[in-house]
Amino acid sequence: MSKSLFNIRVIFKFLGYLLILEAVLMVACSGIDYFFKDHTQLVFLKAAAITFGAGLILALIGLHAKRDIGKHESFVMVTMVWVLFSMFGALPFYLSGYFNSFTDAFFESMSGFTTTGSSVLVDVEVLSRGILFWRSLIQWLGGMGIILLSLAVMPLLKMGNFQLLTAEVPGPVYDKIHPRVTVAARRLWYLYVGLTITLALLLRFGGMSFFDSVCHSLTTMATGGFSTKNASIAHWDSAYIESVTIVFMFLAGTSFVFLFRVLSGKFNKIRHNEEFKAYFYIVVVSALVLSTALFFFADLPLAKAIRTGLFQVVAIITTTGYTTADFSVWIPGIRYLLIITMLFGAMSGSTSGNIKIGRIILYAKISYNELKRDVHPNAVLPVLFNGKTMPATLIYGLFGFLFFYILLMILSVGIFFAMGLNMEDSLGVFLTSFGNIGPGLGNHFSNFFDLPDIAKWYSGFLMLVGRLEIYTVFLLFSRSFWRN
Amino acid sequence: MNIIVAGAGEVGVHLAKMLSKENHNIVVVDQKEEVLENLNSNYDLMTVIGSPTSVSTLKDAGCSSSTDLFIAVTPEESRNLTACILAAKLGVKKTVARVENPEYLHSDQKAFFQQLGIDSLICPEILAAKEIADSLVRPWVRQWHEFNNGTLILIGVKIREGANIVGKELMSLFTHNESCRIAAIKRGKDTIIPGGRDIIQTEDMVYFVTTKDYIDTVRKMAGKPYTEVHKVMIMGGSRIAMLTAEKIAEKFDVKILEVSKERSEMVKERLRSKAMVILGDGRDIDLLHDEGIEQVEAYIALTGNSETNILSCLAAKRFQVQRTVAEVENNDYIPLAEGLDIGIVINKKLIAAGHIYQMMLDADVSNMKCLTFADAEVAEFVVREGAKITKSKVMDLRLPENVSIGGLTRGNKGIIVYGNTQILPGDRVVLFCPSEYLNKVEKFFK
Repeated sequence: MSKSLFNIRVIFKFLGYLLILEAVLMVACSGIDYFFKDHTQLVFLKAAAITFGAGLILALIGLHAKRDIGKHESFVMVTMVWVLFSMFGALPFYLSGYFNSFTDAFFESMSGFTTTGSSVLVDVEVLSRGILFWRSLIQWLGGMGIILLSLAVMPLLKMGNFQLLTAEVPGPVYDKIHPRVTVAARRLWYLYVGLTITLALLLRFGGMSFFDSVCHSLTTMATGGFSTKNASIAHWDSAYIESVTIVFMFLAGTSFVFLFRVLSGKFNKIRHNEEFKAYFYIVVVSALVLSTALFFFADLPLAKAIRTGLFQVVAIITTTGYTTADFSVWIPGIRYLLIITMLFGAMSGSTSGNIKIGRIILYAKISYNELKRDVHPNAVLPVLFNGKTMPATLIYGLFGFLFFYILLMILSVGIFFAMGLNMEDSLGVFLTSFGNIGPGLGNHFSNFFDLPDIAKWYSGFLMLVGRLEIYTVFLLFSRSFWRN
Repeated sequence: MNIIVAGAGEVGVHLAKMLSKENHNIVVVDQKEEVLENLNSNYDLMTVIGSPTSVSTLKDAGCSSSTDLFIAVTPEESRNLTACILAAKLGVKKTVARVENPEYLHSDQKAFFQQLGIDSLICPEILAAKEIADSLVRPWVRQWHEFNNGTLILIGVKIREGANIVGKELMSLFTHNESCRIAAIKRGKDTIIPGGRDIIQTEDMVYFVTTKDYIDTVRKMAGKPYTEVHKVMIMGGSRIAMLTAEKIAEKFDVKILEVSKERSEMVKERLRSKAMVILGDGRDIDLLHDEGIEQVEAYIALTGNSETNILSCLAAKRFQVQRTVAEVENNDYIPLAEGLDIGIVINKKLIAAGHIYQMMLDADVSNMKCLTFADAEVAEFVVREGAKITKSKVMDLRLPENVSIGGLTRGNKGIIVYGNTQILPGDRVVLFCPSEYLNKVEKFFK
């Protein structure tokens, strides 16, 4: 019995089970569609049948798989889960006929699962309830993470492999709230579900219909940004709905582990968490600057300027990507302010995408330390984060991340440029795809239907790379990963 | 169970790894960040960086009345005792401390430690000495494990050329055999759960399940001659050596070889007439010769140096010593030493971890316990009323291939299971299977 590098069967088994789970969710969507007497029930049933079939085949192939899941298997599994989920998640879109091609359907699906929220649709209000709900639901699943969900609900993963989780959960460091991964995952999901329900109720109070409030709470907590209305949140033009959404987008942008700790009574964690403080101040300062700029240069009335400024800053930083204003028409200076916020992302361990504030703080500290070291070559300069010294390996990892990020940015902007987009659009599509934000810049502000097909696939790839934070995906392309 | 392990030394790490595979909530506390980092990212457990004797660290680790067990296994006994006292004060239900000083284990100290909040003490050296002493009683046994209060025994034996079970199908040996069964075979690196058609080869490590009455049958089957140990030679006057000598002096003639003059005098002073102490190096062949190595049945190398122990055991094997025992504290050498055919490899840390693990199993009240033996899962099940396994005779059960029921305990009697056996509710069944089959097996007991 030679020990092979890979336990491929366990990967099949795992993927198969998850696809079956996805099929079940599709059936649920069909039910919702039926409830609202819309016309896409069959679409969902067909998609569910295909997905279930594929899942069953995979599960059968992996029926007698050994249960050990190593590092290699974990990385392949995580990436494959996201790709397959998006592939099959695109089926209802494709079969519904609202989308021109499978490319468009896949783009929408990937944009959903990665909580990006960019859309190829010009008019979402014509969609059936089932399809609208599916768009919201896939964002919600992708927000907290498919793997985290599977760890919480599937006994198959009783082994509770921690590698799987670190490959998916965003941020440079993952903090455990319970010794057992499954229990921790379940707690985080309870919190996520709880917040989602609370938000849905609050939005319902604000005058949204029941359906809209549920859909919006799903996409808000996931920091996704799909809306059921063409005008997004601006449709309601309600200060109440906007402020509730701001608060919950902000919460969705905080680390769930941190939220869990605070909610279980450890209030002093707030004061000691550098990342949270930085997140808070960055949001406040950016909102102030943007509101002031909107007041003085865009001639908005004061109240409206503050509302719009705050909403837009929170929506972009948390990578939700809702809009209450068309900022593509703002003057370049103000648009530039938004580009800056597009570079951050919110806290590590939240549902938001992008680089994350935790990393930004560390980059700043390391760089500042190097300045000091020039003057005092022998100074002891540990990189402290939340009062703890960060190990050198983590710092190397951070710089690897930065290098890949810059490389990707330069390549991607070039690629989009070569496909015929202008410079600002190219940058916008890269930032919004990688950061899982949603709206782009310039001509591709709110939707992406006129991107060339190949650009849509590439943009979808960027979303995945951004959601899984580069390494998990890039590893699969490295030779050392595949060599025994 | 909620378990806190204080000290991520070799014992702690080994224990944490074993426990995290079961359904326990494990928190490991230590100051060494790198070790914890590695544990944290590869195993399903939580780690807390900090001193196990600091109250705030213990609180961070979740020490409270909901903690079932606190295990202190740092290298220093005083810290272990302190940590246990603190943990007990914080409400932990049961505490275990690892100590070096055998004095603490005296029964008259027990009440005192209990009063301090320390429920059990373990001393790896005493455990090691006990294991060595046990291994001398039956020099042909490689591994010995008792189940269900000793009613069933698992015996691991290395099969040599000439044994009469070699080359025969197991079916012909074990049909209607009520004395023993072969539960697992380790061949090179592979572990086989044998079926009726499997054949035993020489150099196999064979695991028999038997009861107390049939141990001798197993010995004959494995082709081992009956030998008794009379003379024992121990190399190195370490603490384990002295503890071992004290244990076995009544039954055997003990000679201890020690290089250092002062140490050898100290050893003699403590052991007095229990052992003969020789000043000299155990690696010196002439000396071994002079001291009569040819007449010795057991050679035990217990110096502080693992390499020396392994090498001198190899030398002893050349003199046809039947039982060799080497203390190997360097974990990396253990598979190596086993590969070199050294009879018993003693590792204090693994022994301590195994002992604590066994303590936990004994305290566990659930109907399934399992431990890993030779890369196979050995599970003990209590059969419930109406379980699928009671529905028909074992041969008609359609158990998955690769699963072998070794034996069961009914009342206080061990019974070897074969095709015709009918399992009844209340039986405690011991079975063997590869770990991935455990789920399927569990269904038979529901």
